[in-house]
Amino acid sequence: MAQGDGTRADSETALQRRDPYAINWRLVAAVVVLQAVLLVVSPPLVVFALIEVMIFALYASALNLLLSFSGMVSFGHAVYFGLGAYGLALSITHFDFPIVLGIIAGPLVSAFFGLVYGILCVQLTAIYAAMLTLACAEVTYAVVFQWFDVTGGDSGISGHVPTMLGLAPHQFGLVVLCVVTVAILMLWRVVYSPLGLTIRAVGQNPARAAALGHGRKSVQLIAFVISAFFSGVAGTLFGIFHGNVFPDYVGVLFTVDGLLMVVLGGLYSFGAGIYGAIVYKLLDNLAAHYFQYWQLVVGVIIVIVVIVSPSGIAGLVRRVVERIGRRL
Amino acid sequence: MTAGAISQPALRVRGLHKQFGRFVALDSVDLTVDEGEIRAIIGPNGAGKTTLINVLSGQIVADRGSVEVAGRRLRRQHPHQVAKLGVGRTYQISSTLRRMTVFDNMLCAHNAVSGHWFSLRAGRLRTMEDTVLADLKTIELDGLADRVVDDISHGDRKRLEFGMVLATRPKVLLLDEPTAGMGLRERHELIDLVLAVTRERGLTLVFVEHDIDVVFKAAESITVMALGGVFAEGRPDEIAANSAVQDIYLGGNG
Repeated sequence: MAQGDGTRADSETALQRRDPYAINWRLVAAVVVLQAVLLVVSPPLVVFALIEVMIFALYASALNLLLSFSGMVSFGHAVYFGLGAYGLALSITHFDFPIVLGIIAGPLVSAFFGLVYGILCVQLTAIYAAMLTLACAEVTYAVVFQWFDVTGGDSGISGHVPTMLGLAPHQFGLVVLCVVTVAILMLWRVVYSPLGLTIRAVGQNPARAAALGHGRKSVQLIAFVISAFFSGVAGTLFGIFHGNVFPDYVGVLFTVDGLLMVVLGGLYSFGAGIYGAIVYKLLDNLAAHYFQYWQLVVGVIIVIVVIVSPSGIAGLVRRVVERIGRRL
Repeated sequence: MTAGAISQPALRVRGLHKQFGRFVALDSVDLTVDEGEIRAIIGPNGAGKTTLINVLSGQIVADRGSVEVAGRRLRRQHPHQVAKLGVGRTYQISSTLRRMTVFDNMLCAHNAVSGHWFSLRAGRLRTMEDTVLADLKTIELDGLADRVVDDISHGDRKRLEFGMVLATRPKVLLLDEPTAGMGLRERHELIDLVLAVTRERGLTLVFVEHDIDVVFKAAESITVMALGGVFAEGRPDEIAANSAVQDIYLGGNG
């Protein structure tokens, strides 16, 4: 079969290359319109779920930049998510920032910590680097949890920003939709630009990339900071959504959520974070509704998906689309 | 650092020494390769050939000794810094970007030397398409442009790796067993391609090779290594006539 594919590719050659990296605006528009309609017509409880899906789609997509493309694993990515929410809260409560500036400060705080921790983490590779990300996350969690005077410790910070900016759920949902769409399109631009090509080259084969003239550390550090920034955008949105921030936001569970979404969505594909967030949050909500031991149910489903399709949901979608394409 | 009447050698290695634990991989190696020279490095397994290539490309830092590339002395440079000095290398086991297409692999090579590797403008990649296709034509892989590297043959991967190195416009080529694991015919096709490009662009070529036919066909001079040291050096006919070399290598395991 591979042989057959080969001759077909040969005969087509590269004369009419369609650009695989151009943004499919029709698809983007369709998804955004569909989502906007859903936000407007759904009851508040569903709108809350949709908002959460969107925020996590961005967070998981940012993490996916590391996992799928830069060759790094982060076992502490909730730090950059949660610090977005803390950046927002602390800039308002401690520095008297107006809310607008606080919203801008959130992602920047995440990016700053991405830079500091990133400089440490890119000194190592593979599992050692991953363990260092975990260590950085534990340190951050401990500080946030115990520095009661500043962070409020276990009881977190709340009341600094009106929940959902005081908007109605569907209005806030539309705001989140805009921000998340723009942010994910920006991530697409990062992945499929000269910089993205460099990041992917380093991620796939650091030795070859070095022989081509790319230094691994600086390239991975850039990817790390970008990922931290967009995780921070997601975290800031999350902080506004709930109008509060708790140490859990930088904790292990949020990290694991992100990792599971990417793996479920399908490593090495851009859409992993989006697919993963949708399916994971859907499972989470439905299973919790119908089963007593819902976490067990979710776990078993994830195990099955990963075994049946190691390339995740993205791989399944790709295969289905290809099969339909062949029929036509 | 301008060269006088005498042109600077492309590579000059003095007293290179490298030890892994108690194993001496390189033992005071001296090597001078002139600009535009085609030099083969041969020797039995464990002679230190690959270690030498790794030191020359910055992969490994030697314990003692000096390496000069085009008159510039290497001081603990990282591989990517050595690459920027104009040293391009391939690996014994071909090293490409396996999950990308052949086209994107070549694009990566051009992107790396474009001076805009950090750019966010996708348009810059589109402007490189023609050169990428031309380069793929040179190495006769244009028909496989849209295939993922994982799905192409071992020989084609070696060919692609060579093409990617060429795209970075190196002055010195270090090829570690460029034809290892290939069939007889593709072996000679690849080495013909390497020779044609090397001569056309006036590059300096240093290659490690086990296939004696390929070595005598391609090399202008040969360095024989054994036990981490340079055992003999000379023109192919001199090496062929050297009875000591025949004993340790040519006659050895045929």
